[in-house]
Amino acid sequence: MALKGLDIFKLSPKTNCKECGCPTCMAFCMKVAQGAVELSKCPHFSEEALATLNSATAPLMKTVSVGEHKLGGETVLFRHEKTLVNKNLYAVSVCTCMDEATVDAKLADLQKVDYERIGERMYVEFVQVSNCQNDPAVYAKLTEKAAATGRPLVLECWDVECAKAALAVAGKNVILDGATPENWEAMNALATEAGVVLGVWAENISDLYDTVKNLEAKGNKNLVLDVTGKTAKETLANAVNVRRTALKQEDRTFGYPSIVNLAKVAKGDDRLQTAYASMFTEKYASIIVMENMTYAQALPLYGLRQNIYTDPQKPMKVEAKIYPINGADENSPCCLTVDFALTYFLVSGELERSGQPVNLIITDASGMSVLTAWAAGKLSSSTIKKTFEELDVANKIKNRTLIIPGKVAVMKGEIQDKLPEWNVVVGPLEAVQLPKYIKDKEYEAGAKAAEAERAAKAGAVKEEVKELSFDELLATKVPAIEVVDMGVKYGGYNPESKTFVTIGERIHCIAPAIRKAMDERDPAPILERAAAQIKAGATYLDVNIGPAEKDGPERMMWAVKLLQENFDNVPLALDTANMRAIEAGIKVYNRTNGKPIVNSADAGSRIGYIDLAAANDAICIALCSADGIAKDNEERMMHCDNMLERGLSLGMSSDDLWFDPLFLVVKGMQDKQMEVLEAIKMFSDKGLKSTGGLSNNSNGAPKEVRPIMDSTLVAMCMMQGLTSAIVNPNDRRLMETIKSCDIFKNHVLYSDSYLDL
Amino acid sequence: MSFTPKTGAFSGKINAVTLGTGDKAIVIGGQNVLPFYTFDAPIENAPKIGVEVSDLAAQWNWPELSAFYAGCTTMVDYAKKAESIEGADFICLNFPGADPNGEDRSVADCVADAKAVAEVVTKPIVVMGCKNLEKDAELFTAMAEALAGKNVLFMSAKNENYKTVGASVALANGQKLGAETADDINLAKQLNIMLKGLNVNPESVVMDIGTAAVGYGYEYAASTFDRIRLAALAQGDADLQMPILAAVCNDTWGVKESTASEEDEPAWGCREERAISMEVSTAAADLTGGADAVVLRHPASVATIKKFITELV
Repeated sequence: MALKGLDIFKLSPKTNCKECGCPTCMAFCMKVAQGAVELSKCPHFSEEALATLNSATAPLMKTVSVGEHKLGGETVLFRHEKTLVNKNLYAVSVCTCMDEATVDAKLADLQKVDYERIGERMYVEFVQVSNCQNDPAVYAKLTEKAAATGRPLVLECWDVECAKAALAVAGKNVILDGATPENWEAMNALATEAGVVLGVWAENISDLYDTVKNLEAKGNKNLVLDVTGKTAKETLANAVNVRRTALKQEDRTFGYPSIVNLAKVAKGDDRLQTAYASMFTEKYASIIVMENMTYAQALPLYGLRQNIYTDPQKPMKVEAKIYPINGADENSPCCLTVDFALTYFLVSGELERSGQPVNLIITDASGMSVLTAWAAGKLSSSTIKKTFEELDVANKIKNRTLIIPGKVAVMKGEIQDKLPEWNVVVGPLEAVQLPKYIKDKEYEAGAKAAEAERAAKAGAVKEEVKELSFDELLATKVPAIEVVDMGVKYGGYNPESKTFVTIGERIHCIAPAIRKAMDERDPAPILERAAAQIKAGATYLDVNIGPAEKDGPERMMWAVKLLQENFDNVPLALDTANMRAIEAGIKVYNRTNGKPIVNSADAGSRIGYIDLAAANDAICIALCSADGIAKDNEERMMHCDNMLERGLSLGMSSDDLWFDPLFLVVKGMQDKQMEVLEAIKMFSDKGLKSTGGLSNNSNGAPKEVRPIMDSTLVAMCMMQGLTSAIVNPNDRRLMETIKSCDIFKNHVLYSDSYLDL
Repeated sequence: MSFTPKTGAFSGKINAVTLGTGDKAIVIGGQNVLPFYTFDAPIENAPKIGVEVSDLAAQWNWPELSAFYAGCTTMVDYAKKAESIEGADFICLNFPGADPNGEDRSVADCVADAKAVAEVVTKPIVVMGCKNLEKDAELFTAMAEALAGKNVLFMSAKNENYKTVGASVALANGQKLGAETADDINLAKQLNIMLKGLNVNPESVVMDIGTAAVGYGYEYAASTFDRIRLAALAQGDADLQMPILAAVCNDTWGVKESTASEEDEPAWGCREERAISMEVSTAAADLTGGADAVVLRHPASVATIKKFITELV
């Protein structure tokens, strides 16, 4: 929980001694609240004040461990607010009232459900041992049997003597679900002595609350709450009230994980238990006790749990491997797509519908969709080749037809080069077209053509491939630049000025016209877009040449020379997944109007871009995320600090790292917008520069609405201290807003015609 | 120090929409609390269950289900049988057979079926189309007229055909109108605004916000449910206060867990039990998220979900 500055100030020494570096205690406390300064910078907080502050910043809900399992630790009521942390676990119940054969059968059956689904082991994590005879010997015997499964136990037992007997044989990984308003002192002593988690149950929620208070007063905070009521209705009320009280009312007395016992509230009805378990997966149970767990129950319940506990900020990935569909074997053709779970489900579903045997090859693409992965360089001929090698596809499958997604038809040639024994065919654009495409064997013609092409190539003399140096490439592979008068002059840029820096985003390979122009080294479409952006007032131009695996360096050198020679050395941001291409671009880059920008590093697999920028004295855009979107500003700032440290250690100036909070789309992540704005303020408070793809916020919004959203957001961002943005400079409303903000921020001296400057 | 829970009733309220006529008419929606939060405020109208009656029901191949419908040949037979299931609050006529890329049944045939059914059943009727935009628009237009006066709910108008469907179903024939979007809260709101702009009374609209079978990207459905309900109740967003119908049967009967044969997956056990379990689990999750009505296929699923609802409300 975030403490407000004023709450901290109330506990501060209020002496304004300035030892912390802040002019007043108030200022210091405000910074602590923002996370900009550590509380420990002030040596004068009293012990008592520190203890109060620490307990106020402690998590609202505790994380309780049982063996390798973690329970609780949740911070939100709904998964879209942030993320749910520790998935609910399942227990199957055995009871002293069952005969030995029933118990044996149950213990054997619960171990049968054990399988993997999207990288996660699905099984019954706990055995719950119920006591209804109050005979210590009988209960201990049953407990011993249950413990023999090797699974941790939930001992539901309110009788102290029975509990004692069971604990003696239960092992360490145990929850003693036995404290009640009547016996809590004795049970507490037992659990504490055995070092196990204590479960608390009461007839009603008010007694439960009091009993927890009593236990906490005795110093036991290693608790779980058994919220099972007499009915499912009462149980839901308890589960919701407990969680809500902890997280919304911020009352830590109820800040513990919950156990829900469906074997009690829906005894004898497996289907009803499945229904309830689905509900309690969404509504706040940490352990769900079932009478049975058959495959019929497990398949939906574990699937649901996996979905609900997916981190909404991170894409769901399936394992990269060969998935044989409709009984495919080594002679069936292959379809390739990415490891984004939704893509996988969609494509595999459509392939199943085709009724034909097909091998679906899932390649590692960091869980991104096809086009996103391609644009980010996560789906390339190299990544595909790597997958083929790792999975040993060539030896496992004899058929040589490889169908690639229609959306990345542009990769066909590169994949064909990297996988020379395969016949690469471009498949349909959308998954729904697959059944017909496969059924009608539409791929056969393409495969034949590819095979013929390969045969022809095999005859030709193999060209010796040798990596050329940049100078050699420049001399042999980069066409001479013709300077054309586009009627536009670049006005120059002073890196010392505080004026907002706009990076024009229009030269991007995702646009088919630019992709084609880059492929053919056709200057006209590129110069046209550059001229328009410069005329509209862009400070920098971004040059995205696509993943450019094959000819990246010469492509980038050509683009850099083309733009700078035509437009008075306009400064550029070099944007591609091919690092050598960026290096090549910088090699021919003219610094008259500012350093080149490397677009972009992140705190994950692209951290090396910082090294690249440092080695070439360039500016580097540093995206504050690693694997997927940062889950909160704490994570954003951690990435920021890590990248800052790396840059500084490599001798960069902090001014040359431009931090990108990662702008999020309103349609989908509306509730995260203020967080992004706060992150910008945090960068600014640290004295850092910032930038980002601001127009991402309005993706998918109507054309006429986007400029309004973009310009409003840029004004809010500039208020927070944003120093640059990657934008479409042709958006007049946006550019006028930026110019106006620069006036208000006193970066530019006002004149009546400031908009025309 | 005794504990009293804080109540979480809202000032926002879900619209109460009546389906059908006479003493079998049902009301869905009307509550001002999250699903089953009876401890916050009483829930006046319990969620309702519809039984799917498909024009392709003859192709169903599940022993227990087929036994239940044994002897049924026409949609009327199926509908009468479905209506007799204890716990069935309404019947849902589903017309996947009208799909031009499938059986391509004619509009006239489908309308004749619907009319014949409407003459013999007394429980409210919900109609689902074949998901082909043009065909559904035609189908709904003709059917809305043929079933005039029956207060039927048509699922659904979509972003692409809402003008035609909204005009014929709601404006010309005074029937109830579904508004369908796929796991997108912004689009769900936008479609409701467009329907309002068309002069469709918001109180005659029911939403299908898109679901999935559990395990199949259900996180999107779950969060869409949560966010729509919180917007309707906590923010009082009138453009999202329509009750929600979840066509569970359309999502769960085609997934692998329900279809894989016992030979292919020997460990998984009885195929029909798996299919029932998928339907039950998905329906329970939808109801927990905020569905005010679910459409189910199997009588066993209906029995379980009926019990689930009765116990919780």
